[in-house]
Amino acid sequence: MIERFLHQLSIELPTADETLAAARLRLGAKFPRTALRRMTHLGLLIGSVLDGAALGPDDALVYASTFAETCSLEDFLRSFPAASPLLFQSSIHPGGVQQVLIGRSQPIARLWPLAGRTRLIEQALLTALLETAARVALVGGEERGTWMLEHQLASTTSFAFAAWLTREPTGAAGRIYFVPGVRVAEACPTLEHFTLALAARRPLQWSGAGGTWSLEWAAAAGGAA
Amino acid sequence: MPAPADQLPVGLAACDCLTPFGDAPASAAALLAGRCALALTPVLGRAGGDLVPLALTGPMDETLPPRWLPGLRRLAAGIPPEQWGAARTPVIVTSSNFGVGSVYAFTRDADVRHLAHGTPFAAVERLRREFGWGEQVWIFSHACVTAHLGLAHAARLLHAGLADRVLVIAFDFVSPFVAGGFHSLKILNGAMPAPYARRETGSIGLGDGAAFAVLTREPTPFQLRAHALHNEMFHFTSNQPDGAGFAVVAAAIAAAAGGRRVWVKGHGTGTLDAGRLEAVALAAQFPAAPLVSWKGSLGHTLGSCGLVELAIALAALRGPAGKIPGTVGGAAPSFTNTIALEPFAHAGYDGAILTSNAFGGAHAAMLLTHD
Repeated sequence: MIERFLHQLSIELPTADETLAAARLRLGAKFPRTALRRMTHLGLLIGSVLDGAALGPDDALVYASTFAETCSLEDFLRSFPAASPLLFQSSIHPGGVQQVLIGRSQPIARLWPLAGRTRLIEQALLTALLETAARVALVGGEERGTWMLEHQLASTTSFAFAAWLTREPTGAAGRIYFVPGVRVAEACPTLEHFTLALAARRPLQWSGAGGTWSLEWAAAAGGAA
Repeated sequence: MPAPADQLPVGLAACDCLTPFGDAPASAAALLAGRCALALTPVLGRAGGDLVPLALTGPMDETLPPRWLPGLRRLAAGIPPEQWGAARTPVIVTSSNFGVGSVYAFTRDADVRHLAHGTPFAAVERLRREFGWGEQVWIFSHACVTAHLGLAHAARLLHAGLADRVLVIAFDFVSPFVAGGFHSLKILNGAMPAPYARRETGSIGLGDGAAFAVLTREPTPFQLRAHALHNEMFHFTSNQPDGAGFAVVAAAIAAAAGGRRVWVKGHGTGTLDAGRLEAVALAAQFPAAPLVSWKGSLGHTLGSCGLVELAIALAALRGPAGKIPGTVGGAAPSFTNTIALEPFAHAGYDGAILTSNAFGGAHAAMLLTHD
């Protein structure tokens, strides 16, 4: 069994109609003013869930996003033939988390950006469990697209989460563990489903990646977490 | 103290690449002969624009099926048969652009068929169905260090006992999307790249590239012994002026290399500041090691460069010439006296360091050793 304990959970579930401008107003106090005007919606949400996180050069961050910087991508494509250098930079995965860490001058040891879909959260969790860093920030999120959404190339909702994964059970909100063993893979929770489970402190269990996954919360874990 | 390198040795059971020169042996031979695959090409393909150096396997404009698919079919023909994508034999796909060139094509011609493989997931799903892989297909996307991440993660899966063999694939094919982006940053301009050359203006080239490696715990003649990673988070497109980010990774991989006598394949795109900082940091840790870059010939193959250049390094080490290609396109004076402009014999070396860098001040290095 490989396990980690969840600490410092933070989740952003904005209203469905929140715009980038509205997010800037709502979350602006968490960002340097110079960085704020260039931040994307997803960047603002990730910056919010990482607000106060003391990330450092010994830490690792696992970042999960299927669609990533959708709106920057849409705007960059619109900028042709005079391609915008700023939109080019911010459209590239993993720009959502990089714009936050660059704005806060937070170097880290390893950044693992994943961009899958059907088994994305399972792969992000396994990446985090295999990390050698004592603390791993597990971060995920999406931003709602516009014209790309009409073609199913973007998320229908905007959201973000962050959780610290450590080997320290004391004070943990929950734990995630993986028991290797031959199993038929079941449907893996989507990134959004996982985020909602974190928000509701709802347990999860499924099989995949050659084993069984469990997310437990402190009360249900009998005090182990 | 920098974070130490992962020291999880794994065997390279198979490895090959695709460049405009062909497979890895053909690419290594072309580099040894000093050939340049870059040619001045309109930055926006059929839409025109400034001429910039691109090394392409075919016309840049996106097609149906996507233009990366035939190349990947050719490459995949050399992958050893296995039930790839099963729990014990996962696939890791790495790229920077995946199929985004198809989304660009849609914005030009409104043909919705391009969108079927426009996202990373959709592009990889196309590959999964094409090659009959199972569901255990990972997707890493970390710009130009992403192939290193795939290889490093594969080593972790193998050493954790969670996989028996791992197939790592990297691909990036140039599109007007990415060429236009780098052109907007002014580093893809009308000049041919001259990696590590001390000159007035820096420039890069871009190239098509794809590669695969099969990693195993079993002993093989060539091994990937260590991976070092670091993320500066100083600026999206520039590095800390003192070169600290380069120094962190160079120190970590040097510690892993121990007393081995190595040569170094650097990132060396042709930009001035990053090239100078990289060369100086590597020379400080490996003062006796020749430093080469092959991007003056192949162009920067973006997310695939780490694996493409690993495949070429292996081909050169196995090849009949007994030599490592020099820095094609480089010129004196160079930033340091470690830059090898000409091919050199690999006899006497017992390892190589291969490095890549990416947006956000991302740094990656790996240690390749051989019997």
